[in-house]
Amino acid sequence: MTAITDDSQRLGPRRRAVLEFALDNLVWLILLVVLVVFSLTIPRFFQIGILLNILEQSTFVGVIAVGLSLTLIAGHMDLSVESVMALAAMIVALTFGTGGAGSGLELTPAFLAFPVSLAMALTVGALIGLFNGTLVVRFGINAFIVTLGSYILVRGMVVALSGGRSVYGLPDILRVMAVERIAGVPLTAWALILTFTVFAFILGRTPFGRHLMMIGGNAVATYRAGIDVKRTVTIAFVLSGALAGLAGWLLASRTAGATANLGIGMLFQAFAAVVIGGVSLKGGQGRLSGVFAGVLLLTSIQTAINVMGMPPHYTQMIQGSLVLLAVLLDALKGAVRRRYL
Amino acid sequence: MTTASLPTPGPSTDGALLELRSIRKRFGAIEALRDVTFSIAAGEVVALLGDNGAGKSTLVKIISGGLEPTSGEVVFEGVPRHFGSPAEAKAAGIETVYQDLSLCTNVDVVANFFMGREITKRVLGIPVLDERRMREETARALEDGGTRIPSLRTHVEHLSGGQRQAIELNRFVHWGGKLVLLDEPFAALGVEQTRRGLEMIDRVRQRGIGVVLITHIMAQAFAIADRIVVMRQGAVAGDLATRDTSPDEVVHMITGEIETVGTRNP
Repeated sequence: MTAITDDSQRLGPRRRAVLEFALDNLVWLILLVVLVVFSLTIPRFFQIGILLNILEQSTFVGVIAVGLSLTLIAGHMDLSVESVMALAAMIVALTFGTGGAGSGLELTPAFLAFPVSLAMALTVGALIGLFNGTLVVRFGINAFIVTLGSYILVRGMVVALSGGRSVYGLPDILRVMAVERIAGVPLTAWALILTFTVFAFILGRTPFGRHLMMIGGNAVATYRAGIDVKRTVTIAFVLSGALAGLAGWLLASRTAGATANLGIGMLFQAFAAVVIGGVSLKGGQGRLSGVFAGVLLLTSIQTAINVMGMPPHYTQMIQGSLVLLAVLLDALKGAVRRRYL
Repeated sequence: MTTASLPTPGPSTDGALLELRSIRKRFGAIEALRDVTFSIAAGEVVALLGDNGAGKSTLVKIISGGLEPTSGEVVFEGVPRHFGSPAEAKAAGIETVYQDLSLCTNVDVVANFFMGREITKRVLGIPVLDERRMREETARALEDGGTRIPSLRTHVEHLSGGQRQAIELNRFVHWGGKLVLLDEPFAALGVEQTRRGLEMIDRVRQRGIGVVLITHIMAQAFAIADRIVVMRQGAVAGDLATRDTSPDEVVHMITGEIETVGTRNP
């Protein structure tokens, strides 16, 4: 009988649509509030330069968070993204860097280094993604274990390849992404926006994205419906790897080289952003627009702490609390949905 | 009751849509199916009856590509087939509605209706979901089936058990194929919805599609089936035209009080 009384309490279609929209975009709302509060309370926070800086700083965590989201939505996960990013950056730096452990490869014409390095980074990432995906899909090993192994293994490869040394002195052509701007916005930030746009489209509008979402919801049903579950999940891992490769390429450009400990800790930031963005760890749930807001939210807080001159360990404490808050919020959202939608 | 042991003619095997020949299935030491042989013609509804553990669901899984038989042959449209996956069986024209529903509750009604068969349009060579056409077709199919669902954009997790089952039933009516396997399809349905479900089966039959209906409920079998196949302990215990038998007799076959009825002697 409770079901029936609940039904009568439900909202009309218009208010229901408004509530649904608000719940779906809650993270953006929070981001907006946080930015307004920071702008009002922190002197010198509200500047175009700082806002652009937040966007640019979000790139690396943002791009790997997209890959992480793809695998999580399919009901798996990819912990290796951080190490893969570092490996891609290291390989590009080792090949083209002129200082430290770099071998200073020069191509003629010089601009060829741009597409070649990008292709290298994407290929390295995709191959590791294929390796992860194959172990998960063909051998049925838990993705947590597989990608935890890769996370450690690939970081080891970064250290081994560089001999623990740093690489610096990337040629100008490889620094284009970090240096040049379009409409005042750095190219790295454009790469971030483009990545989110393309993958939001893939997830929401293509059969592949639809299948990924449904596999995360009920893999048995999709298998019975004739969807090639193994292939789809493997592709998700390959894409996750390739995106980590892209992040590494951008990171190499930004840091003008690579170090053996490049990007350590970004996995946890990506995880935090993804959870804050509303992607369920159980799979089949989540949208990339939320993840984007989650990444921006984390970076905004970090930037605010920097601007205020507070010690950086506050960042970790606040970000950690934010993750826990996000999980609570998710439970709350579920309750509201059950009650009113 | 020895009169019933005369072999029933049944549909001739050369005209059969699906023919199972001496199907055996072992799970380790357990023999789930022992020498199962029966056939079904196009436009025929066969009710598969039997107690729990009689092997009905195993048999359905073998026909639908979920399991491979240990020995024996599955002949579909006169050609021996080995369905390695549900996708292969589906490609051949065999649709299955499973006992535990095969819906993804995290997406909406339209997405479930078109699961694995999404309509796409090409935009710059990229396949893009044609949501409008899929929504229209889903709306039409559900309306034809007399199913009312408030919004097709609702995620299935917000729907009732009956509505969920109705989606699956409408899905099979819409896609049809050549042979439909229904494993306890009315388990979550009320009286009125069950009646409508039986009507759906009749409509599918009139389109010349073969239907295998697995059920526990005698009344459903007698209401719709042309033929009744009884399974007991992994073997066919009876294979009779519905008009030649009675619920009483079928109950006896299910429980084993009558040894074997209507099948060829070994």
